[in-house]
Amino acid sequence: MSNEELIIKLKPIVANYAQDKLALEQINLDTDFIKDLKINSANLVDVILDVEEEFDIVIDNESMERMLNVQSAIEIIEAKLARK
Amino acid sequence: MIGNDIVDLEQAERDSNWKRPGYLSKLFTSEEQFLISSNIQPDCMVWLLWTMKESAYKIDSRISKLREFAPAKLVCNNLIIHDNTATGNVTYNDQLYFTKSVIEESYIHTIASITLEELEVIKIQIIETKEHSLRFGNPDSVSHHGKFLAFVYA
Repeated sequence: MSNEELIIKLKPIVANYAQDKLALEQINLDTDFIKDLKINSANLVDVILDVEEEFDIVIDNESMERMLNVQSAIEIIEAKLARK
Repeated sequence: MIGNDIVDLEQAERDSNWKRPGYLSKLFTSEEQFLISSNIQPDCMVWLLWTMKESAYKIDSRISKLREFAPAKLVCNNLIIHDNTATGNVTYNDQLYFTKSVIEESYIHTIASITLEELEVIKIQIIETKEHSLRFGNPDSVSHHGKFLAFVYA
C-alpha cells in the first residue's frame, strides 16, 4: 500500500479522536497525533487498537512508543504488514 | 521540576472505554491491572494511575525533550489511598518520582516531583473553564481536561 492509501485508511480512525478538525482535514506525513490533531493521550491507545483491527496486525509496545505521528504510524503499519 | 495531570471523570467516561479488550494491557503493568480489577471502584483506579503516570511523564519529557508513548514503562508503586487523597511513586527511565493525588467526585488530580520536599510545597489551583489558554501568574505546570484547568506552582 502506498503512503497515500495508508493515510486514507488512517484518517477515519484518527477522526474519531481528533479534536482539531482543521488539522484532520490537512492530515499528512508530518501530522502529529497529539500536537496537531489534539488527540487526548488516553485516546492514543484507542487509535492503536483501531489500527490493529483495521490492518489485522499486532503493535507491540516497542512500536507503540514511536506512534506519535502519521509518518511513524505508517512505517510501523508497513513493517507489520510486510511480516504477515 | 514539577508535573501535574487532571482527568475530568465525566469527560473520561464519555471519551474512553477502558473495558475495551487490549486497552488496559497497553497502558498498565500487570500489578497495576490487578489494582484496577480488585478495586471496588475500578474507574477511579484507572484514572488515578493514569494521572500518576502522566504527571511524572511531563517532568521527564520536559527535561529530556524526548517524547514516547510508553505508558506501561511508567510504573506506579507504593500507592496508598486515604479518604480522597493518595500518595505514591512512579519510576520511569531509572528515575523515581513522588506523587500526591486528590480524588474528587468530578475529577482526579495528581502532582509529581523528583523530591518529596518540593512535592510538599506545591500550590495547586483548579478551575472550571473551557478557556484552556487562560493563565494565572506563572504556573510551573498546566493540565487541562474536559471542563477543568489545573495550575501548579513550585
